[in-house]
Amino acid sequence: MNLDFSWLADPYYQYWLLRGLGTTILMSVLGLVLMMVIGIAGALIIHLRVPVLATWTTLFVEMFRNTPPLVQLFFLYFMLSEMGLTLTDPATGQRIPIFSGFTCAVLSLGLYNGALAIEIIRSGLLAVPSQTVEGARSLGYSRVQTFRYIELPIGLRLSMPAMTNNVVSLIKTSNQAALVAVADIMYTATQIMLENFRNLEVMIFVWVVYVALSSLAVVAMRYIDRLIRIPGYGAVA
Amino acid sequence: MTTTSTTKPLIEMRDVRKSFGTYDVLNGIALDVREGGVVCIIGPSGSGKSTILRCINGLIPVNSGTIRVGDFAVEAMKTDRELIALRHQVAMVFQQYNLFPHRTVMQNLTMAPIQVLKENPADVRERALKLLAKVRLTGKEDAYPSQLSGGQQQRVAIARALAMQPRVILFDEVTAALDPEMVSEVLNVIRDLAGEGMTCVLVTHEMRFAQEVADEVFFTDRGVIVERGPPKQLFQSPNDPRLKDFLDKVL
Ligand SMILES: Nc1ncnc2c1ncn2[C@@H]1O[C@H](COP(=O)(O)OP(=O)(O)OP(=O)(O)O)[C@@H](O)[C@H]1O
Ligand SMILES: [Mg+2]
Repeated sequence: MNLDFSWLADPYYQYWLLRGLGTTILMSVLGLVLMMVIGIAGALIIHLRVPVLATWTTLFVEMFRNTPPLVQLFFLYFMLSEMGLTLTDPATGQRIPIFSGFTCAVLSLGLYNGALAIEIIRSGLLAVPSQTVEGARSLGYSRVQTFRYIELPIGLRLSMPAMTNNVVSLIKTSNQAALVAVADIMYTATQIMLENFRNLEVMIFVWVVYVALSSLAVVAMRYIDRLIRIPGYGAVA
Repeated sequence: MTTTSTTKPLIEMRDVRKSFGTYDVLNGIALDVREGGVVCIIGPSGSGKSTILRCINGLIPVNSGTIRVGDFAVEAMKTDRELIALRHQVAMVFQQYNLFPHRTVMQNLTMAPIQVLKENPADVRERALKLLAKVRLTGKEDAYPSQLSGGQQQRVAIARALAMQPRVILFDEVTAALDPEMVSEVLNVIRDLAGEGMTCVLVTHEMRFAQEVADEVFFTDRGVIVERGPPKQLFQSPNDPRLKDFLDKVL
């Protein structure tokens, strides 16, 4: 086998790859923020059994975690443009979809991994000892205050290991954005392959990039875990 | 000492009934505690002692009967606001301490007064320092609960209850989970409180302690108060055969 990575020295490809990497990272970060917002809000709604909303949230979780994320992305992408949600570009006069491929990809990542995050955070909340909750109630904490000051801070800590897997999964899943023409690292790599036919080398490169990104995420999560660890507090019950 | 006091008792339970599903736990409890009084509740496991305490501070709703604490009709309370006002007056200390594991000792004391009672943080901290001195834990402000011994954690829990400046403290078998050598350090704190006139309701298996600090002792069995009276009378000349039986076993 004769591997040739000399194309990596080409400034033109370098620029492309960097742009692609930047897009992948931005998409992942936005997806993560959305995921956490959905995860915490959904866990709150189900945990406090908010009437009506809790049923809808459970339905949402079941719908999104039991279908392939790619189906969800295509569904979002085609459904939203089908629904005619477009706006007119003032410069060209063309009608363009409100939800770009990028927006759809972020939304789909946030929704899919957010549905998983709801379940992860909920199991963390359920692991909070009932005595701790009773202690808060006896001090006059309302149910919402108990959630905010006691259950969520402890429950999030207990859900860190599972959440790390979810974060890595989100970063990996982000590459499907290439299929709705978002120029992420996967997309740019495919374009480069079409030009230089160095398929194996380009895929090795992409592989390394994802390993690096995922490892970085794991290290970051471990760091956060160490920062928020409760001194002397044992493992998950 | 007797309970024939002219003033209205601080806590008054009348014919309180409570069931979990079809299981009747309280079958008509009558109990009263005067302001500054120390009352002990004794009885076999499962007789409903913890349930009585939980009803007094509204942690669980009752099926029927009345519970009055100060001016509050506990059995009629529904909203969080009413319950917060009640819990400002009635604090509780638990067998398992029930501290907040993710917060330091100092924060455990100050959280509820600041977050629930909306008091001034500086005032609360000052008060908390005094309370830590009182339970002999000065210097442990920044420790986390799991870094402390059981006896120390329970004293933090007592200080946390006191930080709410309650009118009465409910103690639910607060020494039952402790190693024997730590029991006395916790009992000493409670003895001090009782001596200072804090109203206390204690569920306890420490019969000697009950005899020493209580004004009145209530013996429960199967959800009713079987016998009540001053500790001397109850422990030395029990009337009811069930109480005699119980005392034979525990003394
Ligand atoms: N939330 C609940 N749901 C169902 N049953 C309960 C609940 N809480 C208590 N019980 C039952 O009610 C009975 C009385 O319980 P309680 O805790 O008041 O007893 P206790 O006198 O404090 O006993 P112990 O000395 O063991 O603490 C027990 O049989 C218990 O199983
Ligand atoms: Mg009990």
